[in-house]
Amino acid sequence: MGSSDTFKSLCLEYGFALILRIWLYNSEFKATVSGRVEVSTPINSWKKVTEGVALYKDGINPYSGDMFHESPVGLVIYSQLIDQATPYLSAIFIIFDLLTGHLLYLTAVEYMKHLMRRQNEDKDEYSEEVKELLLTDKDVKRQPLYVVAAYLFNPYILFNTVAQTTTVFSNFCLAASFFCMVKGNRPVVCLFLSLATLQSLYPIVLIVPAAICIGYHTLPPVNKSKSVTSKLPKIYQKILPRALQSTNSDHWVRSMAATIGLFAAMTSSLLVLSCYISGGWEFVHSVYGFMLLVPDLRPNIGLFWYFFTEMFEHFRLLYLWAFQMNALVLYLLPLSLRTRRDPVLLAATLTGITAMFKSYPSLGDVGFYLALLPMWAHIFPYLQQGFIVLAAFIITSVLGPTVWHLWIYARSANANFYFGVGLAFAIAQIFLITDILLSYTKREFILRQVSGSVFNGKHRKLVLA
Amino acid sequence: MPVLLDPPEGCRRPTYLMVKHHLKLEILMYLGGLIWFLALPSDHIQSASYFSENSLLPGLVKGGFVEDSYAKTLLASLQDEISSHPTQMPYSWLLAQFRQIGLDVYTHNFTVNYPLSRDLAYEGQNVYGILRAPRGSSTEAIVLSVPFRGSKSVHPSTAAGVALILAIAKFCRRQKYWAKDLIFLITEHEQLGAQAWLEAYHKTSSGRDGVLMSGDLVSRGGAIQAAVNLELFSDRISHIDVKIEGLNGQLPNLDLVNLVHMLCNKEGVHHTFHNRANYGDREYSKVDPYKTWAYSLRTMLEMVFAQASGVPNGNHGLFHRFGIEAVTLTGYRKVDRGSPATFYQVGRVLEGILRSLNNLLERFHQSYFFYLLSATDRYISIGVYIPAVGLMASTLLLRALAVWRSLQLPSLQSDKEKLMRAQEISNCFASVGLTVLAAHALGVLLLRVPVWSALYITSIADSSLAMVVGLVAFTTLAIFLPVLKSMHSDAILLLYVIGLIELATILLAVSLHNFPLAVICSIVFVPFALFANGRKLRLLRILGWLLVQPLLLVALLILGYTSIHFPDDPIIAKAIHAFTQALTFSFVDYAVYGNWMLSVATTFLFPTWFVLWIVVLKGNS
Repeated sequence: MGSSDTFKSLCLEYGFALILRIWLYNSEFKATVSGRVEVSTPINSWKKVTEGVALYKDGINPYSGDMFHESPVGLVIYSQLIDQATPYLSAIFIIFDLLTGHLLYLTAVEYMKHLMRRQNEDKDEYSEEVKELLLTDKDVKRQPLYVVAAYLFNPYILFNTVAQTTTVFSNFCLAASFFCMVKGNRPVVCLFLSLATLQSLYPIVLIVPAAICIGYHTLPPVNKSKSVTSKLPKIYQKILPRALQSTNSDHWVRSMAATIGLFAAMTSSLLVLSCYISGGWEFVHSVYGFMLLVPDLRPNIGLFWYFFTEMFEHFRLLYLWAFQMNALVLYLLPLSLRTRRDPVLLAATLTGITAMFKSYPSLGDVGFYLALLPMWAHIFPYLQQGFIVLAAFIITSVLGPTVWHLWIYARSANANFYFGVGLAFAIAQIFLITDILLSYTKREFILRQVSGSVFNGKHRKLVLA
Repeated sequence: MPVLLDPPEGCRRPTYLMVKHHLKLEILMYLGGLIWFLALPSDHIQSASYFSENSLLPGLVKGGFVEDSYAKTLLASLQDEISSHPTQMPYSWLLAQFRQIGLDVYTHNFTVNYPLSRDLAYEGQNVYGILRAPRGSSTEAIVLSVPFRGSKSVHPSTAAGVALILAIAKFCRRQKYWAKDLIFLITEHEQLGAQAWLEAYHKTSSGRDGVLMSGDLVSRGGAIQAAVNLELFSDRISHIDVKIEGLNGQLPNLDLVNLVHMLCNKEGVHHTFHNRANYGDREYSKVDPYKTWAYSLRTMLEMVFAQASGVPNGNHGLFHRFGIEAVTLTGYRKVDRGSPATFYQVGRVLEGILRSLNNLLERFHQSYFFYLLSATDRYISIGVYIPAVGLMASTLLLRALAVWRSLQLPSLQSDKEKLMRAQEISNCFASVGLTVLAAHALGVLLLRVPVWSALYITSIADSSLAMVVGLVAFTTLAIFLPVLKSMHSDAILLLYVIGLIELATILLAVSLHNFPLAVICSIVFVPFALFANGRKLRLLRILGWLLVQPLLLVALLILGYTSIHFPDDPIIAKAIHAFTQALTFSFVDYAVYGNWMLSVATTFLFPTWFVLWIVVLKGNS
């Protein structure tokens, strides 16, 4: 496939995606989709944004009530959008969506280059027999196209765009940070990550893969002749993981500290700016308190609402801690250690985990990380649960709205039906993510460890116990 | 065998065995589902119905309804009115009667723009009276409705029903125990009137925009808890048939159905379900289990076919959509000898129902919403009947799993070969994804075809015929579409997997809404879907799958039905007429009431059929 072919198929994809979106915006599905709880949550729904903007314009603090949960920076931007560009709103949403798709494409291109580079570096570690399993130029050309197709034609993303949720913008920020991450641009990645964090808090975990990624990019060229003695105190070297206790350990500590510091500085200055805009710190409770304390238990595709409606009130705090730790920090350290060689995979996994476990998830979040996965299309052959995940995704996506109708409109079913489907959806996602991680490990293992006899014979197995 | 990719054989023995013997298992599961479904009405499986809601207190108070002679007078007067105005509903008479009783009475205007034509509109008017609850704050209401039919109507007159609810209104007016508003509703134009009134009451619209202009109501009561629709064909009633099947196959709460049957029993009114009395009601001979089963099965199948159509068999069916439990009581005229049920008894039944509903503390939430009835006092709950569809739909998933496995060529010995193979398969993902997307796009287009063709081909024919022509032309085009593109054999198999999963999904989703429809679809589609792919008998497979093309299937069913029921008439002409009618009705139902039969058939069933059609056409050639 030549580069002109790639260009042609890219243009085709964008053109088709544009037509699809314009048609959807003008069809009667728009009203239906934007009312769906799977797509619009209290945090991202455009309706709430317009309410908040109306309050803001009337001089009422939108954060004093329980109406508006976007950040003040977002409030100013949206209010400008509504003021200046109301007739072009749908165009703006579509453009941002297409831009997100293109950023993901660029990310994938860059990432595939990086994978090829690493494959060439490590080539001597691989055995002869696995040559056919290595990445080829064809994969490198093709997988970015898959990524952009998986984003632009993903039904979840289509719903999200058509419903005009603010997840379109947070996905844009995330895509931009992914792109800058693979490019190794520290200030911009910090900027976009802090914007995404400001809007929806959970992307804060992505700073870890971002820091690792930038650490790799700024790694000084290996100079074997000169052994660098660490200038850091001994104690730091002890607590660092062994991989980091190399000669480069002070580079790592410095680079990561710089990235995290810059991120912290940017985030806090954005917070101060927000405080200045909204004239007080009430927004912290109304935005981040809302996400962390989960006061609104309207059903969504997540797992919070059902548990917190069912549970006794005095356990609430305990379970809030448990659920939020699950979404934010529980997997951060182990996954960071395990996949530190591939921070982009780590970032995608963390995006997936937060999209699954966060307090107000929407289909836009799910669609975003699903669109990232074709970057690892070369590990799909190692997947074990492919069939189950595929079937579960299809069945739950159809069954969800069906039982919702039965519960809310027909009043013949109840909340258990809907939560059951939501739970199955979450389980399918968990299967998918664990399977991707496991396949990644398997591939690494096969490429490095396998000698001919093991590989062709019947000896070992590698399963998730 | 497999090392790193699949756990060795022994580790997943069940899956391995399942895939190895998938054909036998599939046949077994399909037959199992079918037998389970047919066995449902046996006495070992079904259960006797019971009241789950305590607060109904059915039949606890002695009936006090004595206005039967008033009802008779009204009936005579109303029949005079109808014969003097044969085409119109006697509004002024109705308003006068309600006012005389002392109720607040209002009229409600609505307009229907015929969805298949630009400027064709019908108008109608409903009359309703509200009895404000003396012991409540008008937060809840009960509806008692009658569809009014003029003398030109094709259905039997319901004048007796109108007379009776006026008499009941008069009776209720003097009682002081009502804690819920009673709304007495007389609708025009059959279901259109009821739908318009409900939409106006709830200020919403179920169908497409601009079709049913339901207008607004002058006055409302509280949230409607339950509704009883009354169709009395005479003042001398042979039996009351209780109709429950609603729009999209929705059913009322079983407690309400039981309540009606129990009160009919109490007042000595002969009551039936689908015009079938319980087995052994008439003959007191020895009970033969086989005959009982066969009789119950017949009753259950009557319900299954009525419910599967998705079309309400009475005005009660439209209330379900709004979360209101409702039934229709149809009283048939007594023609043979014997003592009939009179206004007195039927009035007392209605009084009992209203008083029980008045006792309700919360909306109906106990008992069952998903059930099948095989007699007036026997039910089969969802947990018992769902395995029938579950088994049949799972055969599709099992086949999908087997095909998926065979795609990965389990004969390959080493992991390396397997990996290479998997890479080959992943090459087809893009084309398969595109094909599925295109199929669904075709489905969405198909839903638009009726309107477009009715609007733009009207020059050659009337709108219904134009719609049929459009649909048939589009479908024929779609049938020949796969010829254009060739596909890799792996892609075909992958497409088969997706098509099977999708079909199973549709069946499962439909089974939750409308179990009978799902059963019928499973029985018809599953064998053909399983038969769709294979090396031998290509032509037979193609013909088989073509046979279940949704539009063709409907046409064939109608042809069969006409040739059986009207053997003397010119069958083809009659069948074409019936086919046109059926499609028009299904579109009008979709546009007016929000019946999802057409939209599901076009946007889900047709694309799935199309995906599998590609598989049948191109498979293993």
